[in-house]
This record gives sequence, C-alpha cells and structure tokens, in this order.
Amino acid sequence: MSAPTLKIENLKLGFKLWSGMVEVLHGISLHIGKGERVALVGESGSGKSVTARIVLGMLQEISTARISGSLNFEGIDLDKLKPRDRHHLRGTRMSMIFQDPTSSLNPVYPIFTQFREVLARANPAIGEAEARMKAIAALADVSINEPERVLDSYAFQLSGGMNQRVMIAMALANNPSLLLADEPGTALDVTVQAQTLKLMSDLVEQHGTSVLFISHNLGVVREFADRVYVIYKGRIVEQATTKQLFSDPQHPYTRALLSAVPRITGGGIPDIAEDTAGFLDPLIAHPGASEKERLA
Amino acid sequence: MKKTLLILTRNPLSLLGLILVTIIVLAAVFADFITPFPEHVGAVVDFTNFNQPPHWPNIFGTDLVGRDLFTRVVYAYRVSLILAAVVLIIAVPIGVAIGLAAGYLGGWTEYVLMRITDIFLSIPPLVLAMSIMGLLEPTLTNGMIAVTAMWWPWYTRLVYSITRSEREEGYVLAAEVIGASKLHIMFREILPNCVPSIVTKMTLDFGFVILIASSLSFLGLGVQPPTPDLGSMVADGAKYLPDSWWLTVFPGLAILIAVFGFNLIGDALREILGGDQ
Amino acid sequence: MSAILELNGVSKEFAVNGRRTKAVDNVSFAVEKGECLAIVGESGSGKSTIANMILGIYGTTAGTIAFAGEPLPERREKRHRRAIQLVQQNPLSSLNPRRTVGASLRLALDVHEIGPKAERAARIGALLQEVGLEPDYARRSPAALSGGQRQRVAIARALACESELVVLDEPTSALDVLVQARVLRLLAELKAKRGLTYVFITHDLSVVRNIADRVAVFERGRLIEIGTTEALFSSPTQDYTRRLISAVPVVSDEEAAMRQHIMGDQA
Ligand SMILES: Nc1ncnc2c1ncn2[C@@H]1O[C@H](COP(=O)(O)OP(=O)(O)OP(=O)(O)O)[C@@H](O)[C@H]1O
Ligand SMILES: Nc1ncnc2c1ncn2[C@@H]1O[C@H](COP(=O)(O)OP(=O)(O)OP(=O)(O)O)[C@@H](O)[C@H]1O
Ligand SMILES: [Mg+2]
Ligand SMILES: [Mg+2]
Repeated sequence: MSAPTLKIENLKLGFKLWSGMVEVLHGISLHIGKGERVALVGESGSGKSVTARIVLGMLQEISTARISGSLNFEGIDLDKLKPRDRHHLRGTRMSMIFQDPTSSLNPVYPIFTQFREVLARANPAIGEAEARMKAIAALADVSINEPERVLDSYAFQLSGGMNQRVMIAMALANNPSLLLADEPGTALDVTVQAQTLKLMSDLVEQHGTSVLFISHNLGVVREFADRVYVIYKGRIVEQATTKQLFSDPQHPYTRALLSAVPRITGGGIPDIAEDTAGFLDPLIAHPGASEKERLA
Repeated sequence: MKKTLLILTRNPLSLLGLILVTIIVLAAVFADFITPFPEHVGAVVDFTNFNQPPHWPNIFGTDLVGRDLFTRVVYAYRVSLILAAVVLIIAVPIGVAIGLAAGYLGGWTEYVLMRITDIFLSIPPLVLAMSIMGLLEPTLTNGMIAVTAMWWPWYTRLVYSITRSEREEGYVLAAEVIGASKLHIMFREILPNCVPSIVTKMTLDFGFVILIASSLSFLGLGVQPPTPDLGSMVADGAKYLPDSWWLTVFPGLAILIAVFGFNLIGDALREILGGDQ
Repeated sequence: MSAILELNGVSKEFAVNGRRTKAVDNVSFAVEKGECLAIVGESGSGKSTIANMILGIYGTTAGTIAFAGEPLPERREKRHRRAIQLVQQNPLSSLNPRRTVGASLRLALDVHEIGPKAERAARIGALLQEVGLEPDYARRSPAALSGGQRQRVAIARALACESELVVLDEPTSALDVLVQARVLRLLAELKAKRGLTYVFITHDLSVVRNIADRVAVFERGRLIEIGTTEALFSSPTQDYTRRLISAVPVVSDEEAAMRQHIMGDQA
C-alpha cells in the first residue's frame, strides 16, 4: 500500500488559557488512504474540528495553542514545510468545508468575489468570465437552482443550506486530494444532502480524493464512509470499518452513541442514562482497522 | 491588557516602540525634574550663552536667546502629548458614536451622518485646520479644536464599516429578538467588537496628531511663543540652517521618534488585537 | 385547545439586485398551544424566513400573523419579545464573540427584569445547568466553546425569557446524538412543565418523528402538506414528502425497510 494521503500520529493539543492549561487532544492517531472516505464521529467538543484545523495549519496560528505530534500529508512531513508552501496547500490540494457556513463566508463581499478568490488560488491567471462560468457550474453541481442570483448575493441573503452548498462547491472547486468536511450536511434537506454526498463520492472515485468526514449524523456516516473513528474527550476510543462499527459496536461510548440515535420508525427520544462509566476505556480497534495493520 | 503588554515586549520592533514611547511619556511627565533648566520654558534670555552647539550642560545646544534646547524639547513633548491626548479623547468618542449610529440604525440617519462625514473627509485636513485656525486666534485650545475637527471623521468611517458587517451577525439578531434597546446593541454588543481596531488606530494616531500639530505650528498657526513647541522650533531653526543645525535637527528628531514609536506599537497592536483597517 | 399562533395567507418577497424572489408564498397554518409543530422541507424553501416573520425580524409582504388571538404589529412590543423567542440555525455567530456566555444570558434577564438583580447570577448558573453545562461556563467566551456547547447556551438564552412560544431553527443540528437526545428530552420536559409551544424547524426527519405532534412540509416557499406526525409518516400524500422520507439516512436495516415500505406503499 502506498503512503496514506494523511497520517496523524500521536497528535496532542492544549490551550493555554488564563485559568490554566486545557488539554483538548490526548494523542490521537489516524490515517486516511488515497481515495478513502473516513468518518470521525463523537461527542460535541471532543476535538473533531480542531483536528481538521490542525491538519490545515490554522490552529498553529493561534498563540494560545500548544500542539505536538506528527502530521504527514502525501508522504511529506507538514511541520517541515515552509509556512508559505504550507499555506499554499490550503484551498488547492487540501480544502475544508467549515462547520459553520454562514460565518465562514465573508459578510462584506458577494459570493462571487469569494468564489473567484478560491479559483485564483489554484489558477492565479483566471479571468472574470471564466471564473464566473466555473462558479456557476460548481453551484449547479450542488443543486443550487439560481446560481446567478446566489453569486451576486451576500451570505446573509442566502439560506443556511445555500451557504453550506456554496462552501461545499468552493471546497471542491480545485479538485483537492484531501477534503476535510466538517459537518457538511447539517443545514441541507435530506434529498440535497444525498446529492452532495454523491458529488463527494464521485470526486473520490474520479480523482482519488481522500475525505475526512466529520459528522454527528450517524445515518449519513453509515451511508458514506468506508471506515470510522469514534472520538471521545480528545481520545480515539474505537476504530472500525463502517460495517463492523454499526453491526458490532464494542466500546461503551460507541454503544451509547448508537443507542441515542432517534429512529425514523419512532419509539420516542431515547432515554440516555447519565452514566458515563466506561466511556474513557482504552481504544478498541476492530481487526483490519488498526493503524499498525493497515500501514504495515 | 496585561497580556497585550507582555506580547509587545516579545517582538524587538514593538519592544523598541514601547521603550521609545515610555521614555517620551516619562520625560514629559517628569520634565520638571529631569531637565537642567526648567525656567527656560518661559521668556528667559541669556546672551552669555546663545546659539551654541551641543556642549555640557546644554547637550542639545542653546537657542538664539540662550535657552537650553534639551529642556525646551522635553517640555514641547509635554505640550504635544497633552494636545494629542485631548484631541483623541474628544474626537474618538464623537467619531465612534456617529459611526455606530450610522452603521446600525441605517436609513436616513445613515445617509445624513455619512454625508456629513464625507464632507469633512473630502477637505484636505491641513486646509481644514488652517481655515479654522485662520478664523480663530492661534492658541493651544483653538489648535486642539482645529485638529479635533479634522480627526473624528476617520473614526466614524472605521467604526461605520465594522458596524455594517457586524449588524448582520447572529448575536445582534439575538439581542434584537430578546428586545434589547438600540443603545444597548450599539454600545454593549457591537462596540466591543470595534474596540481592537479603535485602540490600534488611536495608537497610530497619537504620532500623527503630534505631527499635524507640529505642521500647524510650523506654519505659524499653532502654539504661540514662549510655550515650546516642536513644530515652531523646527520652523524657526530652519532659517539658520546649516550653520546652527542643532536648532532644527533635535526638535525634528524628537517629532520623528515620537511618530515612529507610536507607529511601532500601533502596528503590533493591529496584529495582536486582530483589528482590521 | 386554542391556536397560540396563526399565519394567514403570509407571503414574503425579497429583491436582490433588482431580481425578485418569492421566499414564502401564501402560507396559512395555526399552531396550538402546547404543541410542537415541526417544519421540514427543501433547503431554501422559506422555513427560516417564516421564523423571521414570526419573530418580527422581517415584515410580511402579504398576510397576517396573530399571536394568542391578536394580530402581531409590525413593530413588536416588549411583551411580544418576551413571549416569543428564537434559537437560531447558526450557533457560532449567535453569541457575541467579545462578551462572556454569562453576559449574553444576563441580557435576557435584564431586559425583561426577570427575578431580583441579586439573584440573576445564580439564575444564569441554573439555566446553564438546565442545558447540561457547568455554571462556571458563564465566565467563558464563546470562542472557547465547541459548536454544540454554543448551541446549548443559545437554548439557555431562549429559556431565560420564560417565553410561551419558542421558534427553534435547527437547534440540534450541531449536536452529537447523545447531547441531542438530552436537549430534545429537555425541550420535551420544558414543554410539559411550562406548557411551552414550539415551532421546530429541522432537516432531521428522525428527530421530527420522535418529537413533533404535527408536521408541516414546505417546498419552494409553499406549504404542501400538514398533518399529524403519525399520519404523515405512515401515509404521506405528496410526492415530495415521500421522497424526503425515503432519503433519510438511517442506522439500522429495519429503518431502511420502513423507508422502503413507504415508497412501496404508494408506488
Ligand atoms: N481557541 C480555543 N481556546 C480554548 N479552547 C478551545 C479553543 N478552540 C476549541 N477549544 C476547545 O476544544 C474542544 C474541542 O473543540 P472542537 O471545536 O474541536 O469540538 P468538536 O469536536 O468539533 O465539537 P462539535 O461537534 O460541537 O463541533 C472544546 O472543548 C473547545 O471548548
Ligand atoms: N435577507 C434576504 N435577502 C434576500 N433574500 C433572502 C433573504 N433571506 C432569505 N432570502 C431568500 O429566501 C429564500 C428562503 O430562505 P430561507 O432562509 O427561509 O430558507 P430555509 O428554508 O430556511 O433554508 P435552509 O433549510 O437552507 O435553512 C432563499 O432563496 C434565500 O436566498
Ligand atoms: Mg466541530
Ligand atoms: Mg434556514
């Protein structure tokens, strides 16, 4: 097996706040092979978004963040890259769909201006007309009905789901080799969500894109991902192929998580015991899904 | 605040700015104690020791009537700093309040306030100040009025543009839905988000106000003798260049150092506080 | 039972660069006191716009909205503000980044003078606990909270007003399912205890199935179907509704079978 697209080893993160040090990630390791769709699911606040931000190199810019561990992208040690080169990867070879689309878009520029900037990162010579054409095509791909109007609008004039699709279209525009998708479907209705998932899957198949897929929607994870990591309080607690995880969850936290999913068949909102005993139990790796086996 | 100061000391450039500004401020505050001839601030004449190049104890030399130049430069700093502080203390709240009102309230308020601001901005600052000074007597107070009149619109512009983008934010909406008053939303919700940019601009402006005030007095429109003033010292001394070079060089350097020091801090603050301009 | 909220022929048009779009098109429905009405539908179909009109953030282009029998004025009075609250779709920007969580909660208490001044700090702590956060989160800034934690603060803020009607615009889409279950139970509890009424906008039909009393389905600004949750899920009348239900991603095979059933039933 060739070098994985992304390999994270023993990643630790803390924040130095006035009240003292807050540990957020306690040494997590994960990898994503070429063309693999890997989901990261878990508690809110467990450190999913920060992991993605570290990969992009964004958290490194925060002065309170203390980061250690190794990050490897397509065989390159990211920490050895010059800041300029690393910055250049963003939006070109790795791109991210941010969790909060409305505030990730700049409120003072119309969508087109921002879209053009994204396209110009990969192709600085791109002209106005060409950028517009590409942007329209990209928006149509994410089932936006009136791409022209959307391009001339400001983020606050669009619905949450439209902004999210704009973000998705921007993230996919330059055919990245790694896509970090942080809750890409939260504001979309299920039919459009299915469509964007299909779009991402196509990208995976055509360009061998690797996807880190962060989501709270376990149903989507089950349909989209090849493999799943479950994270709880800054620790990976279970890793398995999607099939293994949903048919045979082992870790107490994963079990609790799966039992909390409301069912379309009804039955009320699950009553979750407050009991969190066992949630901090050590990592359970299903056969065939552990780091060592896959990378050996 | 403490944290910001700490970060400032870490970067050599901002540390230099901090040192320069601290020295200037301390010198201005303790002028009475550190200058060798405090009485030279007034109309003193000493024809035994006039127009002398730097020597001990007149380390910056003496002026045409024999007053110690170092003493006068330090006192001139005091005047400049007071002037800059007063100007900003008056101009900033006015500019900020107008900018917030125009940006948040919108509609006619926005239209009228921003047109007035634009009119002020379209007149070259020095021309505006000169015409005000021409109408009024050239005293320190009037100098402050003139400079204040040309300064507030910049804060209006700055705060206005930030407010325009902030008012679309969810937290503003949330406050409106709760039923908070417009005043609360402007001053308690939006204003805190403008503070970093305002503080940054104020620091940068401290140097510029000193510079503008000096330009005015260079043109004979500023502070009047015998009160020491950097601008008029440069103007008076310029007639005796290059022979009596110290008459212009030291006051000129003094202006330069003040502007430079405040700028270094301002630039660093812009980065630390994340204010955008 | 009486309708606490009534929309009558409500429409809303927007103009962007001279082009007009009809975001909401002649919509009428009523919400009973104490019920939870879910609004689902296409993204961009006008759900948030309806929420904004109920809250008086946007005026209506046509039609009227009545609360507790009286038509709501364009300019809302303080009592309306207190009676109707909102939890926004977007957890990140709905809290002021330069103010602490406590200050954001306190605003609601101060504006409506809820409880004696001295007790407000304690009340804030209690509100945070109600949504499953430690009271000392009051001192944190929103930047130091995760998306889900922020959303819980936003819910706590809506509860702080002690309102009668809460409009929730995708309140749990940023939460993990464990926290979601807790928040949903909390909402259900508050509904039972305080007699709250909810208008619950969401894309998650599995949540709708388990929390809503009735469901309204929107497509392109129009209300295409409204009915009890039971009826809607067992026999949807509209093709779009059926497509929605069949596209719900599920976690188990039985659920997948049920989806199939709905499609099969009507086909
Ligand atoms: N700048 C920061 N300073 C201090 N703490 C932070 C900062 N950013 C994030 N955190 C903390 O790090 C933890 C992880 O945050 P992160 O945003 O990664 O959570 P998440 O797993 O994405 O959660 P969610 O599913 O709710 O989005 C949280 O507890 C949060 O409070
Ligand atoms: N302030 C505005 N100015 C112009 N157009 C707007 C404005 N707000 C909403 N719209 C338009 O109204 C339509 C409906 O938007 P709305 O936000 O109500 O959709 P939604 O049903 O909430 O969608 P989502 O599920 O994606 O949140 C969209 O086409 C949007 O572009
Ligand atoms: Mg997150
Ligand atoms: Mg919406």
